[in-house]
Amino acid sequence: MLRRTFLGLGGALLAASALGGWTLGRGAGQAPLLLSARNDADGRHYAVGYRLDGSRQFAVAVAERCHDVVPHPTLPLALFVGRRPSRESYLIDTRDGRLLQTLASPADRHFYGHAVFHRGGEWLYSTENDTRDPGRGVIGVWRLDGERLLRSEELSSHGIGPHQLLWMPDGETLVVANGGIRTEADSREAMNLDAMEPSLVLLRRDGTLLSKEQLPARMNSVRHLAVASDGTVVSGQQYEGDPQDAVPLVAIKRPGQPFQAFPLDEAQRLAMHQYTASVAIHSELRLLAITAPRGNRLFIWDLDSGAVRLDEPLADCAGVAACAEGFVVSSGQSRCRLYDCREAKIRMQALELPAALWDNHLRLV
Amino acid sequence: MLRPALLSLAVLASLAGCSKSEPPKPKVEPFAAASAAATDGVLLPAYTRWTDSDRQLADSARAFCAGEQDLAAARQAYLAAHTAWAALQPLAVGPLSEGNLAWQVQFWPDKKNLVARQVGALLDKTPQLKQADLEKASVVVQGLTAYEYLLFDEGIDLADLEQKRRYCPLLLTIGSHQQALAAKVLAAWLGDQGLAKQLKNFPNGRYTEGREAVAELLRVQVGAIDGLKKKLGTPLSRGSKAQPQPYQAEAWRSGASLALIDASLASAEALWRGGAGQNQGQGMRSLLGKEQADLVTRIDAAYAETRQRIAALGQPLTALLADEAGRASLDELYDSLDRLHRLHEGELAKALGIQLGFNAHDGD
Repeated sequence: MLRRTFLGLGGALLAASALGGWTLGRGAGQAPLLLSARNDADGRHYAVGYRLDGSRQFAVAVAERCHDVVPHPTLPLALFVGRRPSRESYLIDTRDGRLLQTLASPADRHFYGHAVFHRGGEWLYSTENDTRDPGRGVIGVWRLDGERLLRSEELSSHGIGPHQLLWMPDGETLVVANGGIRTEADSREAMNLDAMEPSLVLLRRDGTLLSKEQLPARMNSVRHLAVASDGTVVSGQQYEGDPQDAVPLVAIKRPGQPFQAFPLDEAQRLAMHQYTASVAIHSELRLLAITAPRGNRLFIWDLDSGAVRLDEPLADCAGVAACAEGFVVSSGQSRCRLYDCREAKIRMQALELPAALWDNHLRLV
Repeated sequence: MLRPALLSLAVLASLAGCSKSEPPKPKVEPFAAASAAATDGVLLPAYTRWTDSDRQLADSARAFCAGEQDLAAARQAYLAAHTAWAALQPLAVGPLSEGNLAWQVQFWPDKKNLVARQVGALLDKTPQLKQADLEKASVVVQGLTAYEYLLFDEGIDLADLEQKRRYCPLLLTIGSHQQALAAKVLAAWLGDQGLAKQLKNFPNGRYTEGREAVAELLRVQVGAIDGLKKKLGTPLSRGSKAQPQPYQAEAWRSGASLALIDASLASAEALWRGGAGQNQGQGMRSLLGKEQADLVTRIDAAYAETRQRIAALGQPLTALLADEAGRASLDELYDSLDRLHRLHEGELAKALGIQLGFNAHDGD
């Protein structure tokens, strides 16, 4: 015990000296707040918020494992979205971790792990499964009433097994990754590996379908997304087919262009082990970052040229999000890291946050 | 919220406060020391042995095909190379687990006997097989699985000169491919930017501290022990009522399945106990304090028991699968492997304060 404390202090000293170089210019001098789902060593689930300087804002135990986190655009609250096939999500006050509401999915629906608040802050859209017609993609529409989200209506995701959804830069058009996999209530078991239908869909907030595009390999599940300020969309795939097949694990839809493979070096594609996790874009630096936890690897590319900026081993890497300097990355096994991408040579710094046990996604506010 | 400057002052103050009542900090932090000892005492020697065995494999292919070596010696060279490869499984951090290198060395599981079909198809299409042809071919025919098929399959008779002429180009190119691949991996371990250095000097781009390096070693070790369960459980049809499937075992043609499992276990045990010579006794075991003596005893015993069970089997896996008594003894071995796996994954990880991560196998 003493040894752990001692090591922790040593680390704090290192981090404190490194903090001097940080751009903490946030008025109140507060470092950004990192929101994520996290486990403890005994496998219990938490919704947590930590300042990037290591101070804990909150850690609240929740019954179901969460996946993505959706910060409200203006208020200090966030929805921790239940991971599929969870029927619960948690609306939390990000100042102190107070649980404002345990959001229950309607009958015959479960959450798929992702959601977004509309820029006005009144509406929330979540990807859900219609378990009476397993895999039929639903986008639940919720209205924020005070400190509660109320079910308003639902839209079609125009596809099967929707996973992540995000806003296009207009804030009115949704882009949806339909993973293409059918699963039943209370199950994570794929029912249709021989007949998957993944797709990338653009739709208006009223549900009108604008476009639906597919990649050539049908077993290549389109799962995670990032959108740049110019409207470039990048998706990360998880391939359900043979380990030897060569399929596009990263795809891109540039403004006015079709959805197509983002060119990868063969060595990088192989290093991903057919699986990508979180995707993030830094719009100002025009960089793309993707975690590949099965390959234990983090990648950063130049979004425009496709040139590799970083290809680094990072055990069980999980969430990634853009910050002022570049990207913050979490891990289920290692310490969280900050990658400063402002210079030609990317510099890594270990963050003084608790190490390991971080779940798939993170958000910075 | 503490400002950075205040924070560092606070830390300095508390450090100063600690110094009177606590023993002086050891020169090298224990996890960093254990990682360094494993690198020099276990990992580098095993990677060097593998590289040597693949050089001997390439030499053997040349000698055998030139008529200067008999089949028994060629088979021995294959067994040595496969054993050295099996010994790397609990040590497969870094380049071996990145990209598809492992598939190029061994194609397992081969559920549909792809190796027989693809070897035949390749040599029908390219009788004068050159190195470049093999490099472009499927991983199924590039590695030890195909090499074993050529030397041991009942349908191939290398004493027959015509058949030897047909198959020798593949033996030769696989030998060279394995030799080059092993040399490339060893090179990635050595040198200024090499993995060996990253396992010994912290922080670096891969590991920010010694604890992360030990966590990586433990993760790979645990994954390999779990893999041994699969290697035994698949031919046993463990967990199903199906008949045993001897042809789903690795290296069933050469009868080396159990010896390969033991070679992997020996490396896992070396990580636990520490390597020979200078690094003796500096394994993960040394990171556990006196209060963990009971756990140490149980892991020691679990290794001893599992390896004794293998030694006592006395017959190849396929023979044991054929009768009930044999299957019962294999089931007992499986249970021993399972206990060993759970001791590492659960209690050892917890005692070391290491998280093995879950995003890789439980993502979404």
